[in-house]
Amino acid sequence: MKSLFEKLFLIEILKGLALTVKKLLFEKPVTIECYDKVIPQPYPGFRGRHALVRSELTQGPICVACHRCERVCPSRCIYIKTVEIEEEGKRKRQLAEYAIDASRCVYCGYCVEVCPVNALVLTEFYQYVGENREDLYFDQERLLKNWDEFIAKAERPYFNPFWKPKGIPEGFFSIVKRKAKGV
Amino acid sequence: MSLVLEVNKKQKGKDSWEEPFYLNMGPQHPSTHGVLRLFLELEGETIVNCDPIIGYLHRGIEKLAENLNYNQTIVLSDRLDYISSAANNVAFALAFEKLFKLEVPRRAKLIRTIVSEMARICSHLLWLATHALDIGAMTVFLYCFRDREWLLNIYERICGARLTHTYVRVGGVRRDFEPEVIEELYRFVEEFPKRITDYETLIDTNRIWLKRTKNIAVVSAEEAFNLGLTGPCLRGSGVSYDVRKFRPYDAYSEVEFEVPVGQNGDTYDRYKVRMIELRQSNWIIKQCLDKLSETEGELVLAENSPDLLMPEKVREVSAQPHPKLGVMFKPKEKEIVPVGEAFASIESPKGELSVYVVSDGSSRPWRLRIRTPSFVHISAIPHMTKGHMIADLVAIIGTLDIVLGDSDR
Repeated sequence: MKSLFEKLFLIEILKGLALTVKKLLFEKPVTIECYDKVIPQPYPGFRGRHALVRSELTQGPICVACHRCERVCPSRCIYIKTVEIEEEGKRKRQLAEYAIDASRCVYCGYCVEVCPVNALVLTEFYQYVGENREDLYFDQERLLKNWDEFIAKAERPYFNPFWKPKGIPEGFFSIVKRKAKGV
Repeated sequence: MSLVLEVNKKQKGKDSWEEPFYLNMGPQHPSTHGVLRLFLELEGETIVNCDPIIGYLHRGIEKLAENLNYNQTIVLSDRLDYISSAANNVAFALAFEKLFKLEVPRRAKLIRTIVSEMARICSHLLWLATHALDIGAMTVFLYCFRDREWLLNIYERICGARLTHTYVRVGGVRRDFEPEVIEELYRFVEEFPKRITDYETLIDTNRIWLKRTKNIAVVSAEEAFNLGLTGPCLRGSGVSYDVRKFRPYDAYSEVEFEVPVGQNGDTYDRYKVRMIELRQSNWIIKQCLDKLSETEGELVLAENSPDLLMPEKVREVSAQPHPKLGVMFKPKEKEIVPVGEAFASIESPKGELSVYVVSDGSSRPWRLRIRTPSFVHISAIPHMTKGHMIADLVAIIGTLDIVLGDSDR
């Protein structure tokens, strides 16, 4: 008898309708008016656009050209060129050119983690496009510009969570990384 | 090309009225969940034969892995089943840890269990959303995506990425949970069972849903075994097989949970099994969060685990006897990882995901073989569709829960 009653009066469909009407009338909308009023902000540590940290002393990158990021990159999209210079009778290796092909990058963040001097960062900036391939090929100047754009809005001192991830044994980090306080 | 020849052969010598009707579905059809192509032989609207064609998303992940070191290989695993990448990461890491004979810290094990159960919830929510949308329920789709968004936001806080996490690494995980993440997860765990009740109110007894799912694609327990189904598809047929129970990995031996089974093995039973699994996953996360407070402040990576950057070759100078010189010093390549093989399998949201790795002592796997559930499930489509209507085909693809990135690799 009950089943006939349910069949005749569409009880289960009415129940479903009641639920949706209740959500419609008494609950806040889930969707947000994106880009008109609210711009969604990623959480700290989001792996977004690449940047090279600008040193306050030299106004250039603090990269020491150790090639570690180049070797750890799974998609091999980091290109580093070095020059050897003589300074005070010692031969030194110096960075000549640093470039990242963002269109090949998989945003794993391994490069940020292995960098011994915290020179590289994947910033929380994610709204970027390129109209052609050259726009997404970040050379050294572009990477430094990315950093300026990012740090202008970020809180100081800035410390990326992937520079020294929480809970990892100290032995995995260089001395510079262990003492790092942020820029 | 061979397909066309086959069709020509069948059509030869027959009148036009008795020719079978051939239909090509996909690879761009929206309800094939990716780039699956189905070549159908129809009689009216009934499917006589169905030939799935895969390979449109082949990236050669197994071959690529041979040129990357062990930690870099985990990046590739994100791209297998991109809906539940955390679970894939765990499978790869488990196989490599067996090879390296590493002991993972307890906190890392608990964290891995949490992220892989979150992946299960994510995957099942997306499955429910698209399955319901294919069958015709729009509201469930929107509700499920709302809740999945919440989980993706938590993932973003945990590891900085929403889909391709790369969170697990060999020997542990990459980063410990922040305290805010644990609070947010507690909030999610409290709220989520109410949301599941909402979905069930909408479709559980809905007559359209029942008509579209009951007695569709019935697979008996024996057939399911023979077809190689795993995961919820096997459990829907009444076989209580779960890798988490039979070969517990990570922290699954510490937590309590039930393995739901169906009775009839039809689409509706598989739906029921997955809905119960959502609740069980929620419960597992809750237990793990309680246990996580016991291990506060512990490390999440084993001390002797390999660095992200492994050297390609390590040479060791060794002395060897020489007939004329007496002794000769010769550089010899040293083993970086133990030579041997390892196998690990996990219960990924779609089924059983296994990884087999062979090492020759260098820092890169000599051979990596991945057994993915979607590939096996696609091979069951011809058997399951026989005698059904075209409209049911969409429901069958949905109930198998296939991801083409997983099957083509």
